[in-house]
Amino acid sequence: MTMTNRRALLAGLGAATAAPFVLPRRALAASDTIRVGILSLTSHAPALIAAAKGYFKEQGFEVKLVMFQAAQPMAVAIASGDIDFGMTAISGGLVSLAQKGAIRIIGGALQEHEGIEGQKILASKKAHDAGLKTPADLKGHSFGLTTAGSSFNYMADMIAKKSGFPASDMRLVPLQKVPAIIASLKSGQIDAWSIVPNIADALTKGPEVVEIGKISDYIPDYQVTTVFTSARIADTKPEIAKRYIAALSKGIDDYNNALVYKKADQAEVDAITKIIHQYVYSDQPLEKAAPRIQHGAMLCNPGAALTMSSVKSQLEWLQGANMAPKDVTLDQLVKTGYVKTL
Amino acid sequence: MRDTKTEIRIPADAKPVPFRGGGFRQRRHPLLAPLVLAALLAIWWAGSATGVISPIAMPAPKDVIDAFRDLWTTGALWTNLSVSLYRLLVGWILGSLLGIAVGLMIGLFSQARASALPIVSALFPVPKIALLPLFIIWFGIGEGSKVATILFGTFFPTVISTYAGVDAVDRGLIRMGQSFGLRWSSIVRKIILPGALPAILSGFRISFSIAIVLLVAAEMIGAQHGIGAYILMAGSLFNLGQLFAGVILLSAIGLFGSWLIGLAERRMLDWRQ
Amino acid sequence: MRILLDKISHAYDGTQVLQDISLDLGKGEIVSIIGPSGCGKSTLLRMIGGLERPTSGQVLVTGAAPQGCLNPLTYIFQDFALLPWRTVAGNISLVLEDHGIRGARAREVIDDVLARTKLSDFRKAWPRQLSGGMKQRVAIARALAVRPAVMLMDEPLSALDSQTRELLMDDLVELWTRTPFSAAYVTHNLAEAVRLGHRIVVLSRRPGRIREVVTIDMPLADRPAHMAELEKIQRDLWDMMRDEAAAADRELADA
Ligand SMILES: Nc1ncnc2c1ncn2[C@@H]1O[C@H](COP(=O)(O)OP(=O)(O)OP(=O)(O)O)[C@@H](O)[C@H]1O
Ligand SMILES: [Mg+2]
Repeated sequence: MTMTNRRALLAGLGAATAAPFVLPRRALAASDTIRVGILSLTSHAPALIAAAKGYFKEQGFEVKLVMFQAAQPMAVAIASGDIDFGMTAISGGLVSLAQKGAIRIIGGALQEHEGIEGQKILASKKAHDAGLKTPADLKGHSFGLTTAGSSFNYMADMIAKKSGFPASDMRLVPLQKVPAIIASLKSGQIDAWSIVPNIADALTKGPEVVEIGKISDYIPDYQVTTVFTSARIADTKPEIAKRYIAALSKGIDDYNNALVYKKADQAEVDAITKIIHQYVYSDQPLEKAAPRIQHGAMLCNPGAALTMSSVKSQLEWLQGANMAPKDVTLDQLVKTGYVKTL
Repeated sequence: MRDTKTEIRIPADAKPVPFRGGGFRQRRHPLLAPLVLAALLAIWWAGSATGVISPIAMPAPKDVIDAFRDLWTTGALWTNLSVSLYRLLVGWILGSLLGIAVGLMIGLFSQARASALPIVSALFPVPKIALLPLFIIWFGIGEGSKVATILFGTFFPTVISTYAGVDAVDRGLIRMGQSFGLRWSSIVRKIILPGALPAILSGFRISFSIAIVLLVAAEMIGAQHGIGAYILMAGSLFNLGQLFAGVILLSAIGLFGSWLIGLAERRMLDWRQ
Repeated sequence: MRILLDKISHAYDGTQVLQDISLDLGKGEIVSIIGPSGCGKSTLLRMIGGLERPTSGQVLVTGAAPQGCLNPLTYIFQDFALLPWRTVAGNISLVLEDHGIRGARAREVIDDVLARTKLSDFRKAWPRQLSGGMKQRVAIARALAVRPAVMLMDEPLSALDSQTRELLMDDLVELWTRTPFSAAYVTHNLAEAVRLGHRIVVLSRRPGRIREVVTIDMPLADRPAHMAELEKIQRDLWDMMRDEAAAADRELADA
């Protein structure tokens, strides 16, 4: 890329003479360098694999992985032009940035799928003992979230809707960070939560947390995370987006074969695990991290296919709950044409 | 011999002594602050309207006004303000009272100083935000951990300003009290406390600002309402208008607090210049 | 009430400050204490006031304190030691409150001492609003309020200019003439010493020892009329002290 995304932001202003306070200038990417935002989660494995196995190089990219602590700063970093691609759940923040013409969803990633492990609904032992046996009992209980408008918020509302009570009958507790939610659930300060299977299973191994249901029973075909990039790349640099999706898709296939379909041989699984371990659970020795990485991997859509119906439902929910601007259209949020839509 | 005639003859080449005493003195310019503010607002408004300022870098003034209108019409302003003020005041008042008590002990008793001062100095720089996960376990996700975060944040600076204030009390005045046979309690109440009061009150200014900073951190844990929670939610929804509205509210609370403390200073320290 | 110093010696961290001081402070008598800088005058006064303990020897009192005396040994400080957050009246009431004297009774006492120190118009003033001389008069009024048996004055006038000093000396003489009090009066100023002292104790340089005790047999009130005589005593005292003072000055410079 020879132009910065930033310049696109500064619409109406000729060259780069913008007052420095508008947005600080950062190093520009070279034309064949892409920067990919990564969270320390197994679900980001496809990009890690594609980088490690040289799939990006095959597409002529020099790739730089940029670590983030949370999804929200990653989305903002794409808007500001600090990174080029990312992967995260659809949230109010993401939609709002799309509305401001900064980012676009171009593909799908994690997906709830029949017969494959999916997200689980958990209850604290305390609440379970007091009668919280199924998600339908959630009425009157508290439910942990990172923030309002997050995927956790969506799941909580969908559970309530399907169970036939208003979401306001639950007490939704925003706790900002996953570790804080885990601490609150274990100590019984919140009653319930929903989370990806590898974290859920690690929790239910202990005595404090009990599994009470599956998200797939409440949200069919849930597109949990999506691939997104800056509007500038999606709209004016289709070449780059296409090559990125191509490289990512190879990473997705390796990930699915090794960890989801379990079709790969042991050597391949070990190699994949090692790649992921450089970024996920890297504070633990490989022997300890390996089972946590390999267990409970969710399906990542082959070819980064996107389930439009789910994206639409999530957008409508966000707008209905006043957590995203009402005037955003699906077209503003999603740039179709790069991947197959389901 | 006495000469009361003061008339003098001024020679032709006499010149007035050049004046060199100007500058380096703060004068009042009551109009300047509003003017600068208005100019900044105008630049902001024009920048947003013309698109020079990207909607991602800054919300348009209209977005902020809309956010305030929504806060007002839905009544969320009072829900958010009242819970935040409750947390702020309870945490700050308790932290300040405990801080003054411990600071006095450290200032008055060498045993307290030897035992508590190292602990206070060690804990003061610890970012209370880093302890949030522990606070959840200790104080729960209800009001407890929120008040505790603010309490701990304001406690330490108050301890330090109080004992520094006690240390700074003129030893001569204490000697005087002793020489007139005043009781220990009278010396503490009538000499040491008033003598330390200026330092304690200026410590209040700092601890109140810290309390506001920590309000946002405190409302990270399980807060559905409150200015901090409102700001956090606006941030995660990337609603910059609401974000600015929340920040403006916080800074208004800060200004109001420092005005109140200034008032208290003028009242309680009227013996100073 | 009489005060007796019995072979007082004192050392700070191994430095001998006072050595073998014995002295008798009689009722209604003002004893001036002079000596080179650093010889231990202030230390000696703190011991008389019970604010410090000597390393050896003792300070004794005999005889009962006079009727109505609240604080037998009362200080007047060089730097006045007024609480800046209390008014003139408040500073005086401070030393009465602990004795349960409040309200109308306190007002009576305060009015009386302020009248005696000619401060009646300033009862509501803050210390910062007063001149140095007025501040010291407030301190004197405060001391009078507790009806002391002995006044301990450590260079009470040395922070003041010389005109104010003259006026205050007259005031002190007048106060003493009306109701004699006993006092230990530490000063560097020989004129003050001879003007106010019935006896003048001359200390040597550190470690402070009594070099000489000069008695002046002339009523305080008569002294302004006999300036020439006093000046002669003053010269004698200076001759006595000159070498010591010079030596003490060198010593301090070397320290
Ligand atoms: N608290 C203390 N600790 C250690 N040394 C002290 C202390 N107080 C006084 N000294 C020392 O004792 C000596 C006598 O001090 P003091 O203040 O009694 O002298 P002074 O005669 O009053 O002097 P000046 O005329 O300058 O007021 C000095 O050398 C001083 O440094
Ligand atoms: Mg002295």
